Amino acid sequence: MANVSRDDVVKLAALSNLQLVDEEVDGLTHDIVNILGYVEQLNELDTDGVEPTYQVTDLENVFRDDEVMPSATTTDDLLALAPDQADKQVKVPKVL
Amino acid sequence: MADYEMTIGIECHVQLATKTKLFSPADNDARDAAPNSKTHPIDFGLPGMLPILNKEAVNLAIKAGKALNAKVANVSRFDRKHYFYPDLPNGYQITQMYMPTILSGSVEVPLENDSSMTVRIHHAHIEADAGKLTHYADYSLVDLNRAGTPLIEIVSEPDMHSPAEARAYATELYRLMTFAGITHGDLYHGNMRFDVNLSVAKKGSEELGTRTETKNLNSFRSVEKAAEYEFKRQVALLEKGERVVQETRGWDDAKGKTSSQRSKEDAQDYRYMPDADIPPIVLTDQQIADIHADLPKLPPQYRKEWGDLGVDKSVINSILANQQYAELVSAVLASGGKKAAKRVANWIASSLNIDDMSDETKNADVADLLALCEMTEKSEITSNAASELFNDLMSGATDPRKLAEERNLLQVSDEGAVAAIVDEVLADPASQKAIEDIKAGNDKAIGFLVGQIMKKSQGKANPAMAQKMIRERL
Repeated sequence: MANVSRDDVVKLAALSNLQLVDEEVDGLTHDIVNILGYVEQLNELDTDGVEPTYQVTDLENVFRDDEVMPSATTTDDLLALAPDQADKQVKVPKVL
Repeated sequence: MADYEMTIGIECHVQLATKTKLFSPADNDARDAAPNSKTHPIDFGLPGMLPILNKEAVNLAIKAGKALNAKVANVSRFDRKHYFYPDLPNGYQITQMYMPTILSGSVEVPLENDSSMTVRIHHAHIEADAGKLTHYADYSLVDLNRAGTPLIEIVSEPDMHSPAEARAYATELYRLMTFAGITHGDLYHGNMRFDVNLSVAKKGSEELGTRTETKNLNSFRSVEKAAEYEFKRQVALLEKGERVVQETRGWDDAKGKTSSQRSKEDAQDYRYMPDADIPPIVLTDQQIADIHADLPKLPPQYRKEWGDLGVDKSVINSILANQQYAELVSAVLASGGKKAAKRVANWIASSLNIDDMSDETKNADVADLLALCEMTEKSEITSNAASELFNDLMSGATDPRKLAEERNLLQVSDEGAVAAIVDEVLADPASQKAIEDIKAGNDKAIGFLVGQIMKKSQGKANPAMAQKMIRERL
């Protein structure tokens, strides 16, 4: 059974920039233990000699030529998608 | 201080000289561009965007592999490195954590004292740069022009043990990367950024100390200065019985100090996973060899080629500050031989402003340079005149003989004319003391007489001929 502590969940929340109240930490700790336990069933399989799967398309060497292509989307279009903007830049809460 | 030894490893981010970004077809040249004007939905990390790898970025990485004496991987892949920061719209950086394109290699680094050292390269990986943040009182602004710019990060082994070695390594990396055409090498615009990892330990100690990482140094001098500062700072801490904290530090060039920087994450937990959007790069040995065959000559090859010219290593390294000069010396060597190449090498090192690496630099015609070498060889002009003419040829002038004639620089080697001046000087009462000195065995006094002859001839008499005539007459 996966061993996940409350501290692990608090740390995970911090890394994910999520603010959780205590009840949510308790609930998520319980849920995450269950989810990991479910996924852990995969460990029962014998994978000796099986190549790791990095992707499922089997494609390789998908390249494009180094040519500048105009985009149909303008800077203003892109900035309009942000919650806030100023001076043609995305405005975000102070991060430092 | 003398009881301690420092150990330095350097990570260097090199901006690749591509026209477009690593995964988007947006213009990669964001110098002086309006904010967010060089962006594409891929750079904004919009849902549904599909990044496609820039072939030229891969080619340049393969070339970098050769410049680093490294094996290029037959199979390499991209991973996602997750962290939350507004300069990274995807919430992850696309990099190569597990299977980088460039495997282990080595760089032979020339040092000041004419020796050299080997710095091993752990690996180098391809990755996309993040955007740029500008911080204000209560908000920050995000410019994504630089987001997605292709980089390679070259990770050295901790093989350096002094600030001078760190600087020499950074300098040699710069030469290698610019000569190979990997990067434009515009240090002012951050085309190469160095992170210096440094720890100290008592000499003879088996264990390394705790290291700090001083990030984003953008000049060779700041690499050296930051290493000097960190060494002193860490030794002072240890001497006081305190501990060095493992952390990221910033460098203040004006103050000449490093300072602690809050790290992006409290814990280094990037949750790496394979990037499902970018299929692997698969290369045959033949493909790698074909791309390597395109590389021009690199600094180590030039050093080897010029090894027996008989010029100082300092001269060679100053010529290697500029690829055009290096190519010129090699062209002169190929068509004019060693003696001419040595002359040109010394002229370059002594007369030109080597550090002025503007695109305006012109290269002289090789035939004109050889003509100038011949005139110097035959003492038709003085060494000062040769330097002057060399600078003119390098600024676009042609036909050195015609130039010398026009400016009256050709020396008088006509025996009769020189003899007349020699006789005149020897008869001058002001010369008598020198003549007696020479006769008394003080041979240095002959310099005074030659000087008088040069003066009378307005610098045009052939000094070797004048000296010979003085000796014949005394």
